[in-house]
Amino acid sequence: MGDSQYSFSLTTFSPSGKLVQIEHALTAVGSGQTSLGIKASNGVVIATEKKLPSILVDEASVQKIQTLTPNIGVVYSGMGPDSRVLVRKSRKQAEQYYRLYKEPIPVTQLVRETATVMQEFTQSGGVRPFGVSLLVAGYDDKGPQLYQVDPSGSYFSWKASAMGKNVSNAKTFLEKRYTEEMELDDAVHTAILTLKEGFEGQISGKNIEIGMIGNDRIFKVLSPSEVEDYLQEAE
Amino acid sequence: MSRFEESAPARGGFSFDLCKRNEMLMQKGLKPSSYLKTGTTIVGLVFQDGVILGADTRATEGPIVADKNCEKIHYMAPNIYCCGAGTAADTEAVTDMVSSQLKLHRFHTGRESRVVTALTLLKSHLFSYQGHVSAALVLGGVDVTGPHLHTIYPHGSTDTLPFATMGSGSLAAMAIFESKYREGLTRDEGVKLVAEAICSGIFNDLGSGSNVDVCVITKGNREYLRNYMLPNPRTYVSEKGYSFSKKTEVLLTKITPLRELVEVIEGGDAMEE
Repeated sequence: MGDSQYSFSLTTFSPSGKLVQIEHALTAVGSGQTSLGIKASNGVVIATEKKLPSILVDEASVQKIQTLTPNIGVVYSGMGPDSRVLVRKSRKQAEQYYRLYKEPIPVTQLVRETATVMQEFTQSGGVRPFGVSLLVAGYDDKGPQLYQVDPSGSYFSWKASAMGKNVSNAKTFLEKRYTEEMELDDAVHTAILTLKEGFEGQISGKNIEIGMIGNDRIFKVLSPSEVEDYLQEAE
Repeated sequence: MSRFEESAPARGGFSFDLCKRNEMLMQKGLKPSSYLKTGTTIVGLVFQDGVILGADTRATEGPIVADKNCEKIHYMAPNIYCCGAGTAADTEAVTDMVSSQLKLHRFHTGRESRVVTALTLLKSHLFSYQGHVSAALVLGGVDVTGPHLHTIYPHGSTDTLPFATMGSGSLAAMAIFESKYREGLTRDEGVKLVAEAICSGIFNDLGSGSNVDVCVITKGNREYLRNYMLPNPRTYVSEKGYSFSKKTEVLLTKITPLRELVEVIEGGDAMEE
């Protein structure tokens, strides 16, 4: 109970050595919509639920998976507006890197810089941590890569990962299904099946989003009809 | 990293902060920057399917040719290219910077860049530097609203034209355009006319020379024809290569190793914190 006295100020440690605001931020992430990513041998796929608050919302105007550079894409779990700010900052950083070094930014560098931004917001006055965790998927000279960035600013490289509401079930499912030799199409099917596990209602091309990057190193978000094709194959 | 931040447009009009300082400097004898005639011929014209840009390839440092084959047609966006005359560093830096800004804008909006966007970004930047950034540009491209061709002067003014020339060879090139340009040219006619105009600049202006670069931009496609014409080849290259006379004799070969100079200080103190 001593923790509650330390939970209002971001920049104060609690007696147990935690920054309680970051714990709360992770809770915000944990109550967000499920998203997941899988690294295949020849590419990466990321996917998320796209549950809209009402059937009246125009789903074509909502895009959760964003492109940061032509070969890096990102999906989030948590607070949408926070992710917009991070996406904007990351794009700018990628562009600044390119202007300085005339080289497309490597995935690890971009992840590191995004994580630095997120960490800055845990150690400054008058700001709060970001309420999102990001899954960054990219393909550069080191091959396909998948990273998760948390509100605290820590980042991890994953072979397959999930975040959001259904995280424990999804991760168990992924642990069983994941193989190192998986190819991109298999990875997409596995991603769909993992999303189906915890999905409430009827899954369709309109209420999930899938982004993938293959050997061509171009990140693309699949259109609803392309998602439908994959859904039918996965049946 | 602040040097590399994008210059955001200033809020609320012109900032008069430095005007007093400028006044004081001018009274002390500082001459304001005047428009420099630059060693280049750059041209652009609109033809029936889009825009064609052309440039020579000589970079000069006073009376010396610094680069015989430089690139004066700069990439701004997949559908927009920009020729630059003036100080090479200024044109490179300005086009690079605006190209970067356009790329970010494309990410944020999800749309193809428009030529007027590039135009406005360039002219606001040049105006805010009051002519000190010596870049005279011919900007051309094809976007959703059609083909566009603009000229941008170092102080920040712009023109929108069907055919344009800039640089020290602009008069020679404009003479060709004024006599031979007509609306609705085909691609081959347009490229031929542009090449002719640049050649006119190359042969009649000292500041322009070497080769002709051409860039054809149409809806959904662009062709960068680097060194489209080479009207100035090296006339004679000896097949035998260079031979040096045999009067040089090797008298002696001696290698002396350098002696290492090491000073030994007795009883020195360890580094104190």
